[in-house]
Amino acid sequence: MKLSLRTRLLGTIVGAIVLCFLVTLIASRIELNNQLRSLAQTQVNNGAGAFGGYWDSRKDQIKLLVAQDAVSDTMRKALQSKNVAALQDQLSNAARTSGLSFLTVVDTNGNVIARANGPAPGSLKSNDIVSRALTGETVSTATLLSPAFLNGEGLAPQAQADIKTADGKSEHIDNGLAIVAAAPISDANERTIGAIVGGVLMNHYYDLVDQATHALGGSSAILEGDGLISSTIQMPDGTRAVDQQVAAAQNVEKNDAPFSGVDTEGGTAYLVRIDPITNDQNQVLGARWYGIPLSTLDAIINKTTLTLLIWGAIAALLALALAIPIVQRLSDTLSKRSIQVRTAAKELGVAIVGSEVSGDHVAMTKAAVERLGTLLDELEGQGQGASGAPKITELKAVNAELQGDMIVIDTLSQEMSNRMQQAVTRVQELNDVAKGLSELVTGEAG
Amino acid sequence: MADVILFFSSNADTMIATKALKDAGIPAKMIPKPATVNTASNLCLSIDLGAESQAKTALSGAGVALGGVVK
Repeated sequence: MKLSLRTRLLGTIVGAIVLCFLVTLIASRIELNNQLRSLAQTQVNNGAGAFGGYWDSRKDQIKLLVAQDAVSDTMRKALQSKNVAALQDQLSNAARTSGLSFLTVVDTNGNVIARANGPAPGSLKSNDIVSRALTGETVSTATLLSPAFLNGEGLAPQAQADIKTADGKSEHIDNGLAIVAAAPISDANERTIGAIVGGVLMNHYYDLVDQATHALGGSSAILEGDGLISSTIQMPDGTRAVDQQVAAAQNVEKNDAPFSGVDTEGGTAYLVRIDPITNDQNQVLGARWYGIPLSTLDAIINKTTLTLLIWGAIAALLALALAIPIVQRLSDTLSKRSIQVRTAAKELGVAIVGSEVSGDHVAMTKAAVERLGTLLDELEGQGQGASGAPKITELKAVNAELQGDMIVIDTLSQEMSNRMQQAVTRVQELNDVAKGLSELVTGEAG
Repeated sequence: MADVILFFSSNADTMIATKALKDAGIPAKMIPKPATVNTASNLCLSIDLGAESQAKTALSGAGVALGGVVK
């Protein structure tokens, strides 16, 4: 099926508009995606930095609280007098008002004198942080608390969890990730008479992540190893995502290097940054996870794409509205010219035929004049009628002139015939051009 | 009247010359080429001897190249 010029032109215009529009749309979408990703990654990095600031701030706060308690006169006196009940009340009040998970005082041998969480006795001699405090050092660090320590503080149930791995298995953990501070308690003579250790257990503790999320937006989480122990990440049912493995954090733990990229938690893809949590000996214990849902970016990209699509369609329709009359006028003009050429070619054809016919007649007249000359010669040769001789001579002169004219006319006729043969070729070409024009404009065989 | 014969390089030139002389008001008669004239054209023009210079001017003005003149 042949298409008319109008259809072809309009098709080309529509095709060009659609192609241009699609290329622009795809390029815009890719560019928008890249730029937004870059912007969002910056935002995530900034958010992760701020989350780290909350973490450090909490660590400093705990250190300050513990250090203040260590230099408290009442604390020292209670320790010196071994007034366990008074010490315990004091520790309990301090821990409750400052939001500490535990606050414990030990003597110089590491034996527990009093705990904020209850009367459970025990020894923390083997605890590295307590040992360092007993040597006079004020320690402030993240640490993994052992089950024995947690049991003593009555915190073991809060720390215990079965971490679900990606392959559906579960991994039991009973250590607890905590921010801990410890400081020596000295007497009036600056001799160490014990130590105080306190901190916040992060397992299933949501104050810090909630605070970060409220202030920064997005979602935040704390990982022990690569397991989520506290988070504001929402599961599809609205609960918090905890006690599950974060595959993206495995390399963070192994390489002590932050991770930036996409991580899917609770069925939602997030653009995240995962920073390692280390103790003061630079050993990686866990990680801080901060992310924003990719759906936020996708929503912006999709909305922008839709806007582009709508405006592109409007632009295409406007372009078509402008193009249609122009194409119409162009094709009408071409059509008119085509008809003119065909009519002229047809008329030329008639002229050619007329020329050929008149050429034939000239040839016949020339033959008749030549025949007349021959007859006059024969008549003169026969010498018929002496009285008629002058008339024959006159007749021959007229015939000779007539023959000359006929030669001229015949030559002209042949010349014209040759020209006409060339004209025939040209007219045939004109006809072909006109036919082609007609087909181009109308799309139908002429 | 046939005192001067003008001849041209082709029959087409002879025809154009005929038209040019007619437009210039110079009587000219187209005749078959005499045997003594050496040209590719089969035709030539016969004009009055007195009109020769006028004819040459008219032909030159019309851009027709004159092949030669036989008196």
